[in-house]
Amino acid sequence: MTDDIDYEIDADNLPKRMKKRPLGAPSVIVDDVHITYRVFGARKGSTTQTKTPLLNRAISLGRPDTGPITEVRAVRGVSFVARHGESIGIVGTNGSGKSTLLRAIAGLLPPTKGRVFVSGEPALLGVNAALLPRLTGERNITIGGLALGLSMRQVREHTPEVAEFAELGDFLYLPMSSYSSGMGSRLRFAISTMQTPDILMIDEALATGDASFRKKSTERIEQIRDNAGTVFFVSHSLASIRVMCTRVLWIDKGLLVADGDVDEVCDAYDAFVKGRTGASAGANLT
Amino acid sequence: MTDPKPGVALAPRLTSEEAEALARQSSLRQMGVRPPLGHYIRALWGRRSFIWNLSSSRAYVRNQGSYLGQAWTVLRPILDAATMIIIFGFVFHGSAPGIQNRAAFIVIGSFAYGLFQGIVMAGIGSIRNDLQLIRSHQFPRAVVPLASVMTETVLFGPIMIAMVVLVVLTGFLPDMGGPVYPHWSWLLLPVAAALLAMFSAGVALFFARLGARTPDIANVVPFFLSLGRFASGATFSIAGLTAAGSWFRPLLLYQPVQVFLELFRSVFGNEPLIPMSPGLWLLAAVYAVGVFVIGFLFFWGAEESYGRD
Repeated sequence: MTDDIDYEIDADNLPKRMKKRPLGAPSVIVDDVHITYRVFGARKGSTTQTKTPLLNRAISLGRPDTGPITEVRAVRGVSFVARHGESIGIVGTNGSGKSTLLRAIAGLLPPTKGRVFVSGEPALLGVNAALLPRLTGERNITIGGLALGLSMRQVREHTPEVAEFAELGDFLYLPMSSYSSGMGSRLRFAISTMQTPDILMIDEALATGDASFRKKSTERIEQIRDNAGTVFFVSHSLASIRVMCTRVLWIDKGLLVADGDVDEVCDAYDAFVKGRTGASAGANLT
Repeated sequence: MTDPKPGVALAPRLTSEEAEALARQSSLRQMGVRPPLGHYIRALWGRRSFIWNLSSSRAYVRNQGSYLGQAWTVLRPILDAATMIIIFGFVFHGSAPGIQNRAAFIVIGSFAYGLFQGIVMAGIGSIRNDLQLIRSHQFPRAVVPLASVMTETVLFGPIMIAMVVLVVLTGFLPDMGGPVYPHWSWLLLPVAAALLAMFSAGVALFFARLGARTPDIANVVPFFLSLGRFASGATFSIAGLTAAGSWFRPLLLYQPVQVFLELFRSVFGNEPLIPMSPGLWLLAAVYAVGVFVIGFLFFWGAEESYGRD
């Protein structure tokens, strides 16, 4: 999954604030979506449990307190309508279900209940696109491009461009397992921006690499964003949300708690985060 | 912990009916539903270079990290066959009555069954092994098991050559019925292998769907595969060892895997008891196409659910 590290963007690296574009027809309709994960082998509180007598344990053998399968309700009934020309930011604490929701909209994680309607092909732009660590960077570009739906010819055309953008140098021909983590995430970012989709979803993509690469990737995203119809943007950086988005959804423990103007929601969220102590417990277990 | 109580109102929520009507009105398409079969097959055909690339990369990665590397692809089945020759060729002399060259009989059976077994095992875990890929990109999910099947099939090329060499060498073993001469029908080996791969792909797709939701399947299937190895007579002759009137004799003789093993043996043409016949080819072709279609439809039936945990 995404590493939820908060990379605050330097103020001078940020682009100019998004202008509100006229709203078009609906492009994404999310209708009461629920997503439940199954986790194997998890037991509630097994690390904090006190020792029970042997006899009691023998009796309850085979009936562990919550069973070997725990269900995690990551998203619990989210509904909204997005229109063409909107840039929508999604905020929430760690484990609140932002990334899961985004995957459901992209059609990658089928919702357990509810429906998602979209126009065109949505694409999730992430720093966590799957790559095969034992293959060379070049091979991974090919596979990544084909997975995105490009043809072999298009992939061949784009390969030098992607390699250059990722600043790999001669490492292009070495297995990905030999890459530094920065190189790996640069390559992932470069691969996932190979094409411009109708609905673009960005998951923490700005948290990639050093300052110079961050500037480069911000520019790239801006470029893509100008061509895409609707943009979803998940980030922990309120500064970049304020700049890049025209509407914000706030999700907490899988529920939509606010949906509206950027500054209003961001201010409320900021106040909530500052007033909170300790990390969030994440999604609800059932 | 404080509950978030923002002073921002939620946008008015649509009911499910309103959402559906609005979606239809602006001609949106529902995500995460199974595409119609025709669309699905066309989309899959469009991704054929993806299947090919994924499978060749997989084959390349397979034996990395050992000194002999890719040589293990060929060495492993040879060692398997050698074990079987020692036990069923030399120790149990009566394992294949009427068969002249028991060692060649065992080599062919063991190699061909290896192809079936390899493909089925690759299919079972394919969805779970590539969960990250499935959750990052959208494509017809059959790409993943089919790429695994393709890997095994392509790797069978060099294995098949080793099989031919080994069969010729068995002619020089003592007590094994004399030399094996090359025959024109050996050219049909790739066709027989393609039919077996197609049949196995159907089985693999079937288990890929089951294994995606229930990882336990991966523990049960190896048991059935080793049972199948004996029920298909990979290392001994079913025709020669089962009683003539028993009810399970026709069941064992005409079950698909046994048919494919017979087909391989008939292609080598060195056993008078196993002649090449159009009936055998027809039966094999029917099994290959039928099982592949059933497996594919079964896999497609749960298309929307792959990637869910």
